[in-house]
Amino acid sequence: MIDTPSLERYSRQMRFPPLGKAGQEKLLAARVTLCGCGALGTVLANILVRAGVGFLRVIDRDFVEPSNLQRQVLFDESDVANNLPKAEAAAAKLRQINSTVTIEPIVADINRTNIEDFCQGADLILDGSDNFEIRYLINDVAIKHNIPWVYGGAVGSQGMTMTIIPGQTPCLRCVFEAAPAPGETGTCETAGVLAPAVQIVASYQATEAIKLLTGHSAAINRELLILDVWENTQRRVKIAPLAGRKGACPCCAQRNFAWLDGEHGTQTTALCGRNAVQVSHRVQGKLDFAELARVLQHSGTVTYNKFLLKFHLVENGSPYEFTIFEDGRAIIKGTDEPEKARTLYAKYVGH
Amino acid sequence: MAITIQIPPPLREQTGGRAEVEVSGATVQAALADLIRQYPGTATKIFDNGQIRPYINVFVNDEDIRYLDELNTQLTDGVVVALIPAVAGG
Repeated sequence: MIDTPSLERYSRQMRFPPLGKAGQEKLLAARVTLCGCGALGTVLANILVRAGVGFLRVIDRDFVEPSNLQRQVLFDESDVANNLPKAEAAAAKLRQINSTVTIEPIVADINRTNIEDFCQGADLILDGSDNFEIRYLINDVAIKHNIPWVYGGAVGSQGMTMTIIPGQTPCLRCVFEAAPAPGETGTCETAGVLAPAVQIVASYQATEAIKLLTGHSAAINRELLILDVWENTQRRVKIAPLAGRKGACPCCAQRNFAWLDGEHGTQTTALCGRNAVQVSHRVQGKLDFAELARVLQHSGTVTYNKFLLKFHLVENGSPYEFTIFEDGRAIIKGTDEPEKARTLYAKYVGH
Repeated sequence: MAITIQIPPPLREQTGGRAEVEVSGATVQAALADLIRQYPGTATKIFDNGQIRPYINVFVNDEDIRYLDELNTQLTDGVVVALIPAVAGG
C-alpha cells in the first residue's frame, strides 16, 4: 500500500479516469527496459520517469555529442564537456526529475549475447534505438519471452510507430520482412531529422507504454501509425491481418529467432595495431555502391570501384576512413574500439 | 483509370521530388509498371529480382496488399497506392 502524500506528484494523471490510483500503483510496480537513449530514448525516459514507472533500465553505447543536443532532451552542454556516456548522463538527469524511481544505466553495445539479460524481468521493452539490427533483436527477444514492445522510428520530418503484443498483434517481421540493406534507407546522419518528428513518435510510444503497463491493452494502437510533420500528414495503415502471416512469419509463427541466433546482424573484430575495426554485416545480395555513394556524399568524400567503396569522414575533429565491400563488410580506420566502429557503421551505412 | 501512387521521401530523388504520381493500371503490378515507365530510377528502389523489396510495404487505400492479392490486387478508379518503407532512424 502506497501512502497518499507520495502519490501527490502523480495527481494529474491519476485524475485521468482510465488510470486512477490503481493505474498509478501499477506504474510504480512496473519494470521497463529501454534499448537506446538518443532522440527517441530520452523522450521515452523523460515521460516514463515523470509518470512514475518504478524501474527503468537504460542501455546505450554512445557518448553525448554536440549534434545530439538539437533533439535529445535529457542532455546539455555540460554532458558534452564532461564526455559522459548517454546512459549515465540520462540517469543523472532522470534521478533529479524523480528520485523515487530506480534507474539502472548500462553503458553497453546491445547485441545478441546480452539482450536477453537486459530484458529479463521486464514488463515492457521500449525501442529507443536508431537501427534495425537492434529492433529485430528486440523483436526476437520479445516474441521468445512473451514481452510486449513498442517500435518507433524517425528520419527527416517523417516517423512511424507500432505496438507489438506477442500472440495478439503482428510482430515487426510480420510487417517488415527484412531490414533495409546498408545505405538503402536514410539515417538521421545522412538524411537529417527534425526534433518534433522524433519527439512525437516517442510520445506516442510512451503513451502505448502507459496503456500496456496499466492493463489497458484494449486501448493500444493496433495499426502502423505514420506521420510527417512537414507535410502535415498522419495516417494509420491496417496491419492487423498480417499477424503471423498465415504461418509464414519466421519469427512469431515459426519461432526462428534469426537475429538472436546470429544468422543476421553485425560482428566486429578489432584489427590489432592498425587503429581499425572490421564490421561484418551480413546482407542479402550485394550492396549498390552507386546508391550508397549518393547517400554518403553529403557527409564526406566518397570514391568507389567495382570492388570497394572508400568513404572519408571527419566527425568531431576525428578523421575516419571506411572501406566498404560489396557483401556489407567494412573496415573502419580511425578507431580501435568495436563499439565506436559499430556506431559509425550504424550512423552512416545504416541498417 | 487514374491511380495515385504516394512516393515516400527516400524515393523522391527518383521522381524529381514529387510526393505523388498519377498513373494508370488495373492492378498494383500495372500501376507500378507505369510509375517505372515515367520514372525509371524507381525500378531498382522498389524491386529486386521482380520482388518488392522486403522493407517496402504497399498499401491500397490503407490495406496491405499481402492480405489482398499481392501484386495482382485489382485497382479501381481513384484509389491511392502508398509505398511505405521501414523508417530506420531515431
